[in-house]
This record gives sequence, structure tokens and C-alpha cells, in this order.
Amino acid sequence: VMAPRTGKHEWQIVAEISAAMGSPMPYETSSQIMDEIAATTPTFTGVSFDLLDRVGSVQWPCNAEHPLGTETMHEHEFARGRGHFVETPYVATTERSTRKFPLILTTGRILSQYNVGAQTRRTANVAWHAEDLLEIHPHDAEDRGIRDGDFVVLASRVGQTKIRAKLADRMPVGVVYTTFHHPVSGANVVTTENSDWATNCPEYKVTAVQVSLTTSVSEDERLSPAEVLGEPVAAG
Amino acid sequence: VSEQPRVVQLAHDIARNLAHLPDQEAAAAIAYHLRSFWDPRMREQLKTIVEVDPSIVEPVVREAVALLP
Repeated sequence: VMAPRTGKHEWQIVAEISAAMGSPMPYETSSQIMDEIAATTPTFTGVSFDLLDRVGSVQWPCNAEHPLGTETMHEHEFARGRGHFVETPYVATTERSTRKFPLILTTGRILSQYNVGAQTRRTANVAWHAEDLLEIHPHDAEDRGIRDGDFVVLASRVGQTKIRAKLADRMPVGVVYTTFHHPVSGANVVTTENSDWATNCPEYKVTAVQVSLTTSVSEDERLSPAEVLGEPVAAG
Repeated sequence: VSEQPRVVQLAHDIARNLAHLPDQEAAAAIAYHLRSFWDPRMREQLKTIVEVDPSIVEPVVREAVALLP
């Protein structure tokens, strides 16, 4: 095992934080932690560092019934018996495109940034994705007098923001796309409060929008990160 | 855009997605979801609306609310 680069193993750090918060975790080795997991988790009761040293690895459940683990977890039936299938008929969203909001906005991520970028924008990854762009099909752009790189107003029923347009053949006509890795883009100002009924997952893939050219945008007119976060902004 | 209270919109959304079930089953499934996943304050809000202004709440949702403890 490689020596920890920070000087401590992760479990030692967690144990020290726990002790500092008043709940001692008097472990001396990680093997003791494995033993505690085995003692408290029915599917792991047979797992120990000794066993792992002997056999290399085991797949759970590993217990009295399966002392060397379980190669295939569900061979004949699931823990509950037969599988349970649930009907999930398609139900269309209530969000509709109209003459006023004729385009559908879909938001998403790209590989080099993660979500709102709090972690990844601190890295050299910004070289790959320095700002969020609104991808729009050249026909939709031409209808609106928008050229590649122009600033546009992106508006929905709930809000609007300003963002730079990128003409993209990969977009279908009628659909625009942007990422949400930079708070100044304000993508969440535009998306609706619709969410999935069962999981509450927000409906970020379907927002009816209009896109229009704005000629007088300076960088100053965009939301500052503080404004996006709703923090008080000093006057002047 | 509907002017209904948010909890009514959400409850109707649940009902729409369970509309393939027979009414009684749908009411039970809606009640189960409200009981399992909604904030108690949201349930109370929906209960109050059903008492005060039942006409804006779909029958199957009213049945579901009646099943709540």
C-alpha cells in the first residue's frame, strides 16, 4: 500500500475529525474498521482483511451462507422474489412552445466542467470551456439576424439572461442548447420550476424560449457572480 | 400558466402520472407518495386547500388526501 501523501490515511483524518467533534473513533488499523463493517452489515459478515489477503477479493453478499462471497448476485430470484415491474406511461410536460417562445432550450454539461464549476473552473480546464455558449442552428440564427459570437437575449416565461451565441449544425432546427458551468450565464434564471413528479428532478431539458439579438451588450450588463448568488452588491 | 397553488399543481402532476391506475389504486398511490416524500407542511397546505376550496382539486387527489393520517 502506498504511503499516504498527506501523511495520514483518509480513515485517520475522519477519525480525528470525529474525535474533535466529541465522538472518539479509537481505531488503530483499517482492518478494525472492516471488522466493524462486518459486524454491523449482514451482507458483509464474512469479510475481513484476513479473508481478503487469502482469496484476493470477494463479491458481496459474503456471510455464513456464502463464505467466499457470491459470484452472481441474483441467480434465480431477487431478495424480494420475482422482479417488480412498474408501468410508467409517457406523460408530456406542460411546458409548450408558442409563437412568443417558439424554441426549446435544453441545458446540459460538457466533459471538461462539472455542474456549476465550483471545482472545475479553478483548474486549467477553463481553457477548454471558458464560457457557456448558446448553440443555435444556423437557420434559427439567420431568422433572427444572429451571427456566430453575437450576444443574445435568451428569454423564457420565467426569466431571461444574456449569453453569447454559437452557430451549430449539430442542433436541430427549433432547439437551442447551453451549458450551465458559469454562474454569470444565469441558465437557471431561464429554466422553469417544473420537476419530475416522482423524483423532483428539475425539468432542465424542456424550456420554451425565444432568442433575440442584442447589440448593446457589454460585459458589465451581465449578472455578476454575486448578483447570481443573490448576495448584496455594493452600490456605485 | 396556471394560477393554482403550487401544491395543487404538484399533486395534479402526480395524479396525471398515475392516471393509468384504477381510481382507488391511484388515490392510494398518490397518498403513498404524499406520505413518503412530501414535507409535512406541504401535506398540511394541500389538506387545508381541500377543506377550504375543494373545487380546484381533482377528485382523485381529494380521495388521496382523505387517506392521509
